[in-house]
Amino acid sequence: MSERIIFHIDINHCYAQIEEMMYPALRSVSMAVGGHEETRHGIILTKNDLAKAKGIRTGESLRDAYEKDPDLLIIPPHYEEYIYYTNKVKEIYQDYSDHVESFGLDEAWIDYTDSRNLFGEPEKVCREIVNRVETELGLKVSAGVSWNKIFAKLGSDRKKKDGPCMITRENYQKIVWPLPVQDLLYVGPATYEKLHRREIRTIGDLAHYPVAHLQNAMGMAGVMIHAFANGVDTSPVAETDEVNIPKSVGNSMTLIHDVHSLEELRPVYYVLCEAVASRLREQGLEGSVISVSLRSAGLDWYGCERKLDQKTNISDEIFAAVMSLACRYDFQIPLRACGVTVGHLAEDRKVRQMNLFVNETAREKARKADVALDQIRERYGFYAVRRASTLLDRPLTEFNAKDDHVIHPVGYFQGRKMTV
Amino acid sequence: MSELYKRYVDVIVLMKKDRILVPKRLIWDNDREYEIDKILSVEKRASQVGGSGIRYEVMIRGQCRYLFFEKDRWFIESLQP
Repeated sequence: MSERIIFHIDINHCYAQIEEMMYPALRSVSMAVGGHEETRHGIILTKNDLAKAKGIRTGESLRDAYEKDPDLLIIPPHYEEYIYYTNKVKEIYQDYSDHVESFGLDEAWIDYTDSRNLFGEPEKVCREIVNRVETELGLKVSAGVSWNKIFAKLGSDRKKKDGPCMITRENYQKIVWPLPVQDLLYVGPATYEKLHRREIRTIGDLAHYPVAHLQNAMGMAGVMIHAFANGVDTSPVAETDEVNIPKSVGNSMTLIHDVHSLEELRPVYYVLCEAVASRLREQGLEGSVISVSLRSAGLDWYGCERKLDQKTNISDEIFAAVMSLACRYDFQIPLRACGVTVGHLAEDRKVRQMNLFVNETAREKARKADVALDQIRERYGFYAVRRASTLLDRPLTEFNAKDDHVIHPVGYFQGRKMTV
Repeated sequence: MSELYKRYVDVIVLMKKDRILVPKRLIWDNDREYEIDKILSVEKRASQVGGSGIRYEVMIRGQCRYLFFEKDRWFIESLQP
């Protein structure tokens, strides 16, 4: 089998660049895209070059950012536009391969191996893709080309101005190995700490380290990053329309004000449970493990879960389970954020196992009520119908958990088995 | 070069059976109508006044203009704000 050819292409500071493309005047001011301060989702999501020059960092709070630069212009995110334009970018990639795997909105791998006979030399074609994205959509992207996904991504991170960064078997030791080890995918702060203690500073250090020692210290994760450092990564680029069944569906929320009692928390969970149930039904799934996560004003996490006797996507059932878990929290410290996740998912086959102790007629009614709510909301908007209890504290429950949080973090393996 | 502005405009369009859109007339300020005399080129392009889409290089009364179909509406790179 011939060597694989993988492109990794990354839209440079994606959200900020899309805003600049839509409104070119933004290029001449220091600007960042960030959450709303007043609803406390206040962090910088991405920034433009001028803001970067003033030391603004992705992930920092809006307050810290304003301190560094009082003139910073902060724009709330327009996810609908970002999804639209990043899809347009990926349509260009799809002109060259049927294996285009998204990694978040702004990054994608393209398996070019089998397209080479059609379109020609990888470097030339990769350059052509980069140019097309710029002329057709006005967006700058950086690209890396290698024989595996990990090195291709490292290549695009180098953001070369004069074309794609080509990482080959001949030059990878020169290009990749001197890079700091935290540049490698899957080396987060915790792993970095462990490696640092072993004097592993660069990817080259990691590649030369005895793998058995890493396995002892970190288990399979150690073996995996050691393989990555040596360019051993055979994970495939997913086919363009390959859909992975999620392992869980959940929603969480930073509350607009701290919550001091279970009674106050109840309406918030109504909204969250309805959102999760609705997303489950939309994907034709149901699940049996309900997990609750609570974060106190002291920023401590509290989490617990329970398994139901039967799988469900009915909001009332999820809600009942959630409340039975949340009532264990004593509220000595008020709550700042809460979430619910439904796991152990399976396809909802619409076939019910009858049970002597469960009233299936009542369940069917509850399910129909949920579906009716979905239909009303789809037609007349999310706030067209809501529970009376959510009106007691409108600001606290005035959020559309289902549609306002469409960007979910993604994992590299997306549920696939690790192959090293 | 004089400054250009992004002006959303009403456009009367022929939609052909193979889904191709052919702009025919442009309506300016609700009252003035301009015939599009000729389409010189059609390409996917980003606009210098912001946005991107399908760019029609059109000839109107002897003048060349860029008319864009952006997502679901039309704008022109205009000399007038």
